[in-house]
Amino acid sequence: MTSASSRSILTHSIPEHEEAFSPSFDIYEAYQRALTNPEVRVSPYPSSFLSDSLHKISAPLAAILSLTELITQSDAGTMFELVKALNDGAEALKKRVHNPIGLNAGSELFIAFVTLFPHESASFSELKTELVRQGQIYATEALLFRPKIAELALGFIKDDSIILTHSYSRVVMQTLLHAHKRKRISVYVTEARPRGLGIKTCEALTAAGIPCTVVLDSAVAYVMDKVDFILVGSEAVVESGGLINAVGSNQMAIIAKAANKPFYALAESYKFHRLFPLSQDDLPTHNPGILSFSQPQHHLTPELVARPSVSSTSRPALKTSINSSSTPNTLLPASSVQRTMTDEQISRNPDVDYTRPDLISLVFSDVGILTPEGVSQYLVGMFAG
Amino acid sequence: MAPELYNPASQRLVEALAAKLRRRQVLGSRETALETALVLRQVVSKARFTNIHQLVEIIRDVGRKLVEAQPKEHTVGNTVRKLLHHVREEYNNASKGTVASSSNVFSISKFVLQGQPRKQVTTQKTESALVLREDDPDDPDSFARTLKPVLMEAIQVILDELETVYENIARSAKDHIHSDEIILTVGKSHTVETYLISAAHYHNFTVIVAESGPTYGGHDMARSLSAAGISTFLVPDSSIYALMSRVNKVILGAHAVLANGGMYAITGSLLAATAGRAHSTPVVVCAGQFKLTPLWNLYHEYGALDFADPSSVLGFEDGDLVDTVDVVNPYYDYVRPDLVDVYVTNDGDHPPPSIYRLIKESYDDEDNEL
Amino acid sequence: MTKAERRELQERQRAAKAAKTAAGPAAGTPTVNVKGGGGGKLAQPSTPASPAPKKGGTSQGAAQAKALAAAVVTGPAKGAKDAKAAAGVGEDIVGSRGLRIFSHFALQKTAGHVAKGDVHPAIVRLGLMFAEFKVCGANARCIATLSVFKQVIQDYVTPQHNTLSRHLNTHLSVQISHLVSARPMSVTMGNAIRQLKLEISGSDIDLPEQDAKDELCHKIDNYIRDRIIIADQVIQETAMKKIHDGDVVLTYARSSVVEQVLLEAWSEGTQFSVYVVDSRPMLEGKRLLSVLAAASIPCTYLLLPALGSVITEISTVFVGAHSIHSNGAVYSRAGTALVAMMAKQHSVPVVVCCETYKFSEGVQLDSFTKNELAPLGDRFSSFPLTRPRESLTLQNRPNLEILNPLYDLTPPSSITAVVTEVGVIPPDSISSIPLALGRQMI
Repeated sequence: MTSASSRSILTHSIPEHEEAFSPSFDIYEAYQRALTNPEVRVSPYPSSFLSDSLHKISAPLAAILSLTELITQSDAGTMFELVKALNDGAEALKKRVHNPIGLNAGSELFIAFVTLFPHESASFSELKTELVRQGQIYATEALLFRPKIAELALGFIKDDSIILTHSYSRVVMQTLLHAHKRKRISVYVTEARPRGLGIKTCEALTAAGIPCTVVLDSAVAYVMDKVDFILVGSEAVVESGGLINAVGSNQMAIIAKAANKPFYALAESYKFHRLFPLSQDDLPTHNPGILSFSQPQHHLTPELVARPSVSSTSRPALKTSINSSSTPNTLLPASSVQRTMTDEQISRNPDVDYTRPDLISLVFSDVGILTPEGVSQYLVGMFAG
Repeated sequence: MAPELYNPASQRLVEALAAKLRRRQVLGSRETALETALVLRQVVSKARFTNIHQLVEIIRDVGRKLVEAQPKEHTVGNTVRKLLHHVREEYNNASKGTVASSSNVFSISKFVLQGQPRKQVTTQKTESALVLREDDPDDPDSFARTLKPVLMEAIQVILDELETVYENIARSAKDHIHSDEIILTVGKSHTVETYLISAAHYHNFTVIVAESGPTYGGHDMARSLSAAGISTFLVPDSSIYALMSRVNKVILGAHAVLANGGMYAITGSLLAATAGRAHSTPVVVCAGQFKLTPLWNLYHEYGALDFADPSSVLGFEDGDLVDTVDVVNPYYDYVRPDLVDVYVTNDGDHPPPSIYRLIKESYDDEDNEL
Repeated sequence: MTKAERRELQERQRAAKAAKTAAGPAAGTPTVNVKGGGGGKLAQPSTPASPAPKKGGTSQGAAQAKALAAAVVTGPAKGAKDAKAAAGVGEDIVGSRGLRIFSHFALQKTAGHVAKGDVHPAIVRLGLMFAEFKVCGANARCIATLSVFKQVIQDYVTPQHNTLSRHLNTHLSVQISHLVSARPMSVTMGNAIRQLKLEISGSDIDLPEQDAKDELCHKIDNYIRDRIIIADQVIQETAMKKIHDGDVVLTYARSSVVEQVLLEAWSEGTQFSVYVVDSRPMLEGKRLLSVLAAASIPCTYLLLPALGSVITEISTVFVGAHSIHSNGAVYSRAGTALVAMMAKQHSVPVVVCCETYKFSEGVQLDSFTKNELAPLGDRFSSFPLTRPRESLTLQNRPNLEILNPLYDLTPPSSITAVVTEVGVIPPDSISSIPLALGRQMI
């Protein structure tokens, strides 16, 4: 049913572009549409209970859907041309998005699938149709991954568990809500500055009746002794078995290791990404502006006024605006205790970090419960050779 | 559940074994595995089924009953899972041409699970001469008839493996143990005993046995090792750390090896493994492959949740204490995968991170919960 | 018979002394007979004379050396012929490298050794109590020794042409060696005796004998009072503050100091529960358990191997010490190192309660350099009655030797804090204790 409806949406949205994959096919626009596509909101849970955001599909799936659209639009006659077009599309998409990691995982998976798809169909256009259909089927099936993961994780959550989580993750939310139905749990969530998504998590959990407290990012070590285990979501799980997630996850994992607490990562299988970061600098999201020092000023500036950003560190692709005269939090007088970072200062900080596999206890995925070493089995199976 | 497909005699056999397991009249990983395999053989030989699902259901039913009777003996479930794996493998081999596989279509989820498509094609190596006709209305027993000899063979393979497990593990003993080494072991393990005695034919070494209270299995172990000519020291558990600086290797037995590479082993093993890690002494675990369990340790404390009799810790002779004091006497310890350096099995040596892969190869995912 | 034995003994003594200068270190080849005979060496703090009372049992000949359960030898004290005989016997049954490696552990003694020399009867009785483990524990032994020494001093009469300050030391040395032959000296006893000897040699020559003796006894009393009793009280007060309401405290075996800390904390009204971990060979934890249970403290009892299962529930670990070394390593009952290691792994703080008089200069590297073995057999009734005695291995057999080390060394990395009467000290700063005490003799 859903494939039909989503196909109807697609036919809906193939308006003016009759010609082949012309540059006017905006893959980015397709991606954005897929992300917010209301039709793909199929969930086993009553929608009244969950917030809308849980229904939004994640970046990798949106990438797959936008690539399927590209196939429909493309006029490639051979597999070679098609794959090339897909690669170009993925590249274009990557450039437009600030944090392309999840998206990369999805496009890689789809492109590998396309490349390896056995040629059974009679004509090339049938093949294309089949590929598009497979992509859509997968996107629909993938909605069931989160409940699957929630069920797997349930066995590891005991009554009266105290769980620590980081920022906001849809799969973690679903797991916690699922667990709440059968067991008593309490949750600590970190604030996850600067976006403060942890507060969103706390609100959602409290609304569902789960006792929840927001913890300062700097208080993770303090709270670690009280916690039974840590549960985090992921943007991508990489070839080494490590994790890429919102900044702060690595810190939490290191503290958990020091305190001998298990650190569990929840990741759907489409987040398995063929990447092997050797260090934080080796991430695709890294750029020289991160954690750079700003140029010293010639005159003293009052503390609360942001330093105007010096041009060498500004990045064109940045979404966050860098106002040279960005207003700091001027609500409070200089003598008051509360200070906040300016946008410019925030922009010098990373969004995601990499957690090493030896700090992770287990990865819960729809393909099963995996040790970090087990993740590479799937990646090798998909991408080797 | 298809109870009508399995006859009362088989049911009685299963009940009898379940009762023995419940009452702990059958103890020990290998014993329980052997008994389970024998019961399975009887049940399968007498069972009537017309298609693969019924067969699988029968076997799973037996497995469920036995596992419920004694969840602490993991090898019962493992034997059943192994048999199911063999059954499915034989069935798939035999029926590759005749029966339409569940989905010919190569989907993305299949891609993720199974990897590249060419790998699927190569798995059917053996040309099977079997022609399987499922659910044949004229000859309902044909399916069973053709498949049974194959099943019996599969069960025999399992039994053979169980019977030769000690010798196979001990084959690598002479390579792992050298002359004049000092080995530490804990409690009594038949596997480790065979291993050490086999190595003793080639080299002279010393063994320190920690007695492992309160069962003090170490005493039996020390006696049998010394009777075999190995110089042995018997020490109480309290001196494990004190002696560790002189020990070259720690060799332990296991009760069950878990999916993450950790294991359940007799109490005292955790102390030995941790002390070994603190002194950078290699920790070797000898375990047959029938002990590989697709389970996770859900309870970080009280490994295996198997408790023994508290009176061996604080007996009634300390009468006035008995009702005012709590006594904890867990039978097994959970040893984390990072404390073990290698598992020596009847099928080669494996480091803990690769155990999950062995488990995936030996069992099917759908059997993890019987 | 006894007189003949005695004469034989003294004969052997003289031969030994002569041989000592000739044979030197060669005599003491540390080969261990599987059955436990032969020569074992124990590194002893300096005790001059060699008791070798073992000879009493071997008057039947060298062949009987094999039948000996053990022999303790201080230094190269054995007579040359004995050593050779033992070596000869030992060599053909010499075990593998493993058996030789543990040979320096003190071997067990048979009870009923004969006192040699002018030994005070109270000392004989004390020696017997030590050998039978009726008095055990570093503090208990030290207090018992000092109390008996008071008696000895009171009964002592300075021989003619001699002064108390010079001769009393020699007299005491004879007593000491008797005690050592019963059981190797504890560090506490050693420190106390060293202090006593210093006092003796510093005592005023002009003082009349009785006054000198009284003064010495008074000094002994002060030592006991200041370094042990009051020190324990200060430690109790300090350590008590580390126990909070709702805590779960773990302790191992039985330390007199920790027992007092727990009882005191409970009587102050703090609500906590205690896990007592115990282990063979001595199973001393049971005594602690009955004391705590009698005070109505909620207790749980377990054996050492079960520790891994409960450690996650523990808030603090309190242990006692036999002695503490300048690198912060703690020499304590065997098993303490395991408890500290497991606790550290789970981030549970390990607190050692130890008086400063237990401080031992010098660094011990592992539990092997200095240790003691408990006697074989079921001396302490430490096996459960549910297990039939025949199924247990209680005696040595061919190829099988039973070792029951009594002590082990806990490295400073596993310890969080040491509570002494001069304050709470991190293990790496232990070497500054003499400084804290104003460099008095420890």
